[in-house]
Amino acid sequence: MDQKTLAYINLFAVLGSLEFLCKQEPAARQLIEGEKLSIGFSVKNGPRGTLWIEDGSCCMRPGLKGCQVLLPFSSCEKFNGMIEGSVKPVPVKGFHKISFLLKKFSRLTDLLTLYLRPEPEKLQDEAFFCSSTRLMLHLIVSAIAQVGNADAIGRCSAGYMQDGSVLFSVKEDISCGIRVAGHQLSACHEKPEDYRAYMEFSDLHLARRLFDGQVNAVACVGQGKIRIGGQISQVDNLNRILDRVALYLA
Amino acid sequence: MRKANDYSRSRALFERACSLIPAGIYGHQGPVEGCYVPVEAFPFYASRAQGSYLWDLDGNRFIDYMCAYGPNILGYNDPDVDAAAAAQRAICDCTTLPHSIMVDLADLLVSTVSSADWAFFAKNGGDTTTGAVMTARAYTHRKKIVFFKGYYHGVAPWTQKIDYPGITPEDVSNNLYVEWNDFDQLEQVFLANKGQIAALISQPYLHGNFMDNVLPAPGFWQKVRKLCTEHDVVLILDDVRAGFRLDLAGSDHFYGFEADLICFCKALANGYNMSALCGKDFLKGAISSLSYTGSYWMSAVPFAAAIAAIEKMKRIDLPALLLEKGEKLRSGLISAGKKHGFDLRVTGEPALFYLRVADDPSLMLHQAWVAECVQRGIFFTGHHNHFLNAALSDADLAETIAAAEDAFAAVKKKA
Repeated sequence: MDQKTLAYINLFAVLGSLEFLCKQEPAARQLIEGEKLSIGFSVKNGPRGTLWIEDGSCCMRPGLKGCQVLLPFSSCEKFNGMIEGSVKPVPVKGFHKISFLLKKFSRLTDLLTLYLRPEPEKLQDEAFFCSSTRLMLHLIVSAIAQVGNADAIGRCSAGYMQDGSVLFSVKEDISCGIRVAGHQLSACHEKPEDYRAYMEFSDLHLARRLFDGQVNAVACVGQGKIRIGGQISQVDNLNRILDRVALYLA
Repeated sequence: MRKANDYSRSRALFERACSLIPAGIYGHQGPVEGCYVPVEAFPFYASRAQGSYLWDLDGNRFIDYMCAYGPNILGYNDPDVDAAAAAQRAICDCTTLPHSIMVDLADLLVSTVSSADWAFFAKNGGDTTTGAVMTARAYTHRKKIVFFKGYYHGVAPWTQKIDYPGITPEDVSNNLYVEWNDFDQLEQVFLANKGQIAALISQPYLHGNFMDNVLPAPGFWQKVRKLCTEHDVVLILDDVRAGFRLDLAGSDHFYGFEADLICFCKALANGYNMSALCGKDFLKGAISSLSYTGSYWMSAVPFAAAIAAIEKMKRIDLPALLLEKGEKLRSGLISAGKKHGFDLRVTGEPALFYLRVADDPSLMLHQAWVAECVQRGIFFTGHHNHFLNAALSDADLAETIAAAEDAFAAVKKKA
């Protein structure tokens, strides 16, 4: 597993999914209500991004320009260690915001962990299950883009993909997509307007079981539980990247 | 209004299969690799076949334009081929010593295929492409193999891509890729890897999936042949799909050049399981040196079937027959599309044409039309070249064109 690719996933997919956690969950939103802050993450020989927080919402954007708090990491391994909980970051800028980092931000990321790595019994609650699975879908779509752009083998798969979007959705529920331009992938967290291929799960339960490796995707397509169509070679290549996403997120 | 085909028995069997067989039906004959979009439009299992027809488990009849993905060249259950196979089966099939009929088939192939000085037998097309690459490496003592992008040469690890499940970077580390018909790029790759390339492997023209098929540019093969000779690179022609369909002497003969090694399978024995690698005399020692064999590679029944099939293909001048049928079908299908305002592209050689409704780059419109055709008893696919067979009658072609037109009308109505 490539630590640099994992760092990109951790920054833009894992921390990036805070945006959707806050959109979905009032408890997450409440934690950052009334706050206005930007936290930059600078990883040596790795990704750089800023989490922009403003009054109950947040979003991760590439680059560090304008960040009020800066958390530097000497390597991708150190940054990945922070995500795992084994490394404590020390800000070099924005010391006056340490209290926010230690309290509210820490509680926000704990909430994210609760939804992304849920205890099995929590998933018995249908509302929690649906929210957790939708968040997982956002995370996976973002991670697909990172693996397609950063991982050596993922880049080969992206190299076979043509320009255009692929719809990645759950029937009558959440719709996301992957945009391809010049073999570079980007995540789309709503239904792409003009997509050339699609992969649609019949329901959230099937999507979860597939992401958890409990069902056979090929059999599901034959059974009509997963719909694929359009430029199927795009879906095929996307699935090869998805296989590698599972490796990184395991 | 036409009633949609009922596939309930196919579906019930598939559910049972999913618990017993990986993916229910794995590989190219399954609903995923077969690109059945939507799956409800397609049958999954056959109950019987005859001539140009295939019946599914629910009793629906299809004019079959996939022909088992190529092997059915004379028509299912061809009486001459089946009689020869039955006669051989009564004598012997899989035995400790190969039956003498093996030499008769080798003799027939060498006298039929223009570039063949010898014949080597196996089972699947992939056995012959792998055998060809091993032969080239044994002869040249070099590692690298050049491919044209969009290729398909089987499923052995060396033929797959680095990102495919189960493939390691080492499996494909000696592969070099160039664009089809781009001679300058090919020449650059040869120069950049001078003394390291064992072989160039190619189909006679680009008939990859999900893309319009592309014939060789004028003079392309002749320049490639010369380049391979100058660099002592073995030229392998993968004629597994196209073999015998264009020219009984081989597709290299059809396009006016000579391959060093030529791979045959699909059409060779009209559905009996065998393949053949033929080659030039200078490579006979190299292939003889390989440790390369299989439990059923010398079974006699397929050899008898192949002899009967080749003799019949010669008798009926099969390539001319398929060309005539293919051209009729091509013009009929294009006209059917035009009547309803659709731009149907038919590419590749008429005997193994590729279809694409070009009005929608996403291919969704094309898939909708293919699904409507299948619902009307015409077995087309949305992603792969098709195959004609000799049993296809003028009535079959007329039925196909009428159904295709009806399918275009249905697609237009839904759009």
